Amino acid sequence: MTQVVIIGGGHNGLVAAFYLAKAGLKPLVLEGSARVGGGAITTEISPGFHCPTLSHEVLIHDQIVTDMELGRHGLGLLSPGADVCALSPNGDPLVLWSNNARTADALRVRRPQDGNKYLTFRDGVDRAAALLADVLSSPPPDIDSPGISDLWRLLKTGREFRGLGTRGAHQLLRWLPMPIADFAREWFEDELLRAAIAGPGVSGTMLGPRSAGSTLVMLLRETHRRLSGQRRLQVRGGPGRLTQAMAAAATAAGAEIRTGARVDRIVVRDERVTGLVVAGREIATTTILSSVDPKTTFLELFDPVDLTPDFLSKIRNYRAQGTVAKINLALATLPPFRGVTDSSMLTGHIHIGPDLDYLERAFDHAKYGEVSKSPWLDLTVPSVLDAELAPAGGHVMSVYAHYAPYSLRGTDWPSMRQTFLTRVLTTLEHHAPGLGSTIVSAQIITPAEIHSDYGFSGGHIFHGELAPDQLYAMRPLLGAGRYESPIRGVFLCGAGTHPGGFMSGLNGRLAAQHVLRSAPVR
Amino acid sequence: MRYDVVVIGGGHNGLTAAAYLARAGKSVLVVERRHVLGGAAVTEEVFPGFRFSVCSYVVSLLRPEIIRELDLPRHGLEILPLDGTFTPMPNGDYLWRVNDHAKTRREIARHSKLDAEAYDEYGRAMIEMGRFVKPILSMLPPDPTSLDPRGLGQLLFLLRRFQRLSRQDQYNQIQLMTMSAVDFLDQWFETDVLKATMSASGIIGTFLGVRSPGTAYVLLHHYMGEIDGAFRSWGFARGGTGAISQAIAGAARQAGVEIRSETEVAKILVRDGRAHGVVLKNGDEITAGLVASSLDPRVTFRRLLDADQLPGEFLEDVDRYKFRGSSAKVNLALDALPDFTALPGIGPHLRGAISISPSVDYMERAFDDAKYGRFSRRPYMDIVIPSLTDPSVAPPGKHVMSCFVQYAPYHLADGAWDDQREAFGDTVVDTLAQYAPNIRNIIRHRQVVTPLDLEREWGLSEGNIFQGELTLEQLFFLRPAPGWAQYRTPIGNLYMCGSATHPGGGIMGAPGRNAAMKILADRTA
Repeated sequence: MTQVVIIGGGHNGLVAAFYLAKAGLKPLVLEGSARVGGGAITTEISPGFHCPTLSHEVLIHDQIVTDMELGRHGLGLLSPGADVCALSPNGDPLVLWSNNARTADALRVRRPQDGNKYLTFRDGVDRAAALLADVLSSPPPDIDSPGISDLWRLLKTGREFRGLGTRGAHQLLRWLPMPIADFAREWFEDELLRAAIAGPGVSGTMLGPRSAGSTLVMLLRETHRRLSGQRRLQVRGGPGRLTQAMAAAATAAGAEIRTGARVDRIVVRDERVTGLVVAGREIATTTILSSVDPKTTFLELFDPVDLTPDFLSKIRNYRAQGTVAKINLALATLPPFRGVTDSSMLTGHIHIGPDLDYLERAFDHAKYGEVSKSPWLDLTVPSVLDAELAPAGGHVMSVYAHYAPYSLRGTDWPSMRQTFLTRVLTTLEHHAPGLGSTIVSAQIITPAEIHSDYGFSGGHIFHGELAPDQLYAMRPLLGAGRYESPIRGVFLCGAGTHPGGFMSGLNGRLAAQHVLRSAPVR
Repeated sequence: MRYDVVVIGGGHNGLTAAAYLARAGKSVLVVERRHVLGGAAVTEEVFPGFRFSVCSYVVSLLRPEIIRELDLPRHGLEILPLDGTFTPMPNGDYLWRVNDHAKTRREIARHSKLDAEAYDEYGRAMIEMGRFVKPILSMLPPDPTSLDPRGLGQLLFLLRRFQRLSRQDQYNQIQLMTMSAVDFLDQWFETDVLKATMSASGIIGTFLGVRSPGTAYVLLHHYMGEIDGAFRSWGFARGGTGAISQAIAGAARQAGVEIRSETEVAKILVRDGRAHGVVLKNGDEITAGLVASSLDPRVTFRRLLDADQLPGEFLEDVDRYKFRGSSAKVNLALDALPDFTALPGIGPHLRGAISISPSVDYMERAFDDAKYGRFSRRPYMDIVIPSLTDPSVAPPGKHVMSCFVQYAPYHLADGAWDDQREAFGDTVVDTLAQYAPNIRNIIRHRQVVTPLDLEREWGLSEGNIFQGELTLEQLFFLRPAPGWAQYRTPIGNLYMCGSATHPGGGIMGAPGRNAAMKILADRTA
């Protein structure tokens, strides 16, 4: 019996391996680098300082945590009390707590109208997330010939949609195409609050707050939050512990994981897969799941002759141009953020970007292949909640800096990396005077490196833009949107499939279930 | 005397609605505030001998069924073809696309052989997309939140139509609905000036840039025109855009419609939650069985009605409806023709549209300025010189040049439009001078129509030429307000029939006709 092979030992590959192993198959996971984890890994950037290497927001679906018994395999989850702390250049920071009532009270002090609307706002967002939860945790329908389960799901979603009430339903329909700047302005007056709301709608994407589709990205993120069972999650010991626990669970279920095993190519004969080549050696298999992004999968791992020119052209047009650089800092002391009186404010995301125009101006640069002059930052200091991550008194800071477009005009990332790092540190210094002198070690991972060293095509952390024409049944492409590919036996299971990014693990699970349903593997 | 219907606003949609209602036997009165009919589709002799299409300057989306059913050619409508788009470039080169496909192909091939091949394929794909979307224009938009069987039937019809498309067409259709114009065009073409000029049609009348998601859709909107049966060609009316409105007015009068100009409505009269007429600025009351407003929702509901006459939630929706005008017009009376450095002399390239859209970056930077409350330092322009084809609009040997300009944001960060008017006009002329240096010497008169002018004089809130942005969150069943997309309003016997209703703006006449059909259907129900 030929094994099912999974390319890529990131979280989705590991989740898929688990579910396939549980079904009695003996999947083999091939991870090219020295360790599993993909985007959910931890780096010791200085002795004793453990920083999330890439992802610092892990919205793992709670059902997957339960199914894989990740707790038993070493996963500890921490629940921060703060969602976002938005820093102000000249005033008090604004904190959106996980506790809505607490947030509403604090906002009322700042601006009564905003405080009064906050609970209604949260309720509206939560109801939208509740509706989208089913959509995101189910496979997309077959548009050409919807099956019974597709129709059943459609009816169920339709019923939930009507359950929103006419006004609620209309509101959701309006929200889906809206730019998040308009959305934030409709709800709130305070500019810093608007910016804090807008951040999650654009972070990691080629969107600015005025771009249509940014509210949808925020809602997707909120939906994954809901599916994870918490508003925010932090992995004890760093994100790498999550994928290590997943690897342990997959292995315990019967999967085999090989690291240092980079796949050179997939072998196709008569339009079906017959094997793949790893370090010069061919492994025979008739079923492959690729958790690697769609562009890398189809443009690097296939002989172009095996795919039609039309398909190749469409995959080339699949938009996956990254826009973030990652900056990881080891700090000797707690960052002295202006106006932060209590470290509990720092347990969530910290947002640096004082108003919508600031975010939009930062985005403008990305359109012209430039790095932002005044970057906006989405950062965390996970050591506040988790003392394990740094030596006593010390801290680690994990920063996503926007916008750092993968394709630069007139220059390249090796030439720009130091400049951009300096720019980010200057921005941080402005909001945390004295931070610079506490830096023990600073690391920048440019989009070029996210591409070349970590395997994300274009440095895109979501494996491709979360745009309406690249979501759901159309992720990555119409016709290749339900975990399938044009080649019989080759499936997709990474973030370049439904339901997109945000580390839910649902891609791996849904893909595995799809493989089990459709490809009797013997 | 009591009328069956009073139509507020004698713009092209109001006149269209009136004509159809009168043909069905209703007694109809149209009241127009200005001295001239047509709304923003007007010709005005702003300077003696020079007849400007002051606001709207081209037509392509005027519904063929309206032209036919109202017999508009008999009432003076003659659409002259606008052949081609000429884009001069700062480096002295140009791009000139014309209706003659072979000629255009050769011209594009001059820039890129690959693009020349892609161009025909692209045109075919867009025409197919236009054909798919076409029935939606005359459909009454169904509301997916209601269980109305007719509405559900229509949704199912749309879904089935979609299913029957080829995979390629499905792919194109979804992309067209969601992507930015440039992202969409990047998939087809490599020539920057070509993409810039084509994507320009995606941002006309919007507060979006050519790289903004959602602008590919408007590419299609502007492609869906039919003139004398030929899909997609643009044109202009002999006698200026006002001739279209005059033709519709002629048809309306023939059907028995009474039209009063220089007659301004102060309030809509409501009793027991139902409209029963209007009261004019001079105090006169006119009673009617029903009232149809062709004005936008802000004017209709916030000015012509009182807040306590309308549900609070509805007013919230009206207030949320976005206008955000971004366009201006600079109309020039010329002593001679402009001489473009890129293609010197008088030639057929001056008979079509002249587009100042030399690169995608140029277009996008023009938009960036507007986002922060400034008019574009180097604006995008769509220019026509109708006097070359229609001598009736200018004295012999002289010309009119109609410049549509973006971006001119209604909300300025510093100062007011009345103070910035001349500076804006100068920016436009300076930009033109970069491509046609003789322009400064040949301008006899200049009229600058700012977004504030569009609001004040032509009744378009915030100067938005479509009576409200054409963005997905306020289109179809969401236009002008969720739940009120079928021309009715929360007030009984009060209907909406202007561009703020489906299917939106442009000189289509479709909102007026659709509203009339709805009124007639409601009446017979």
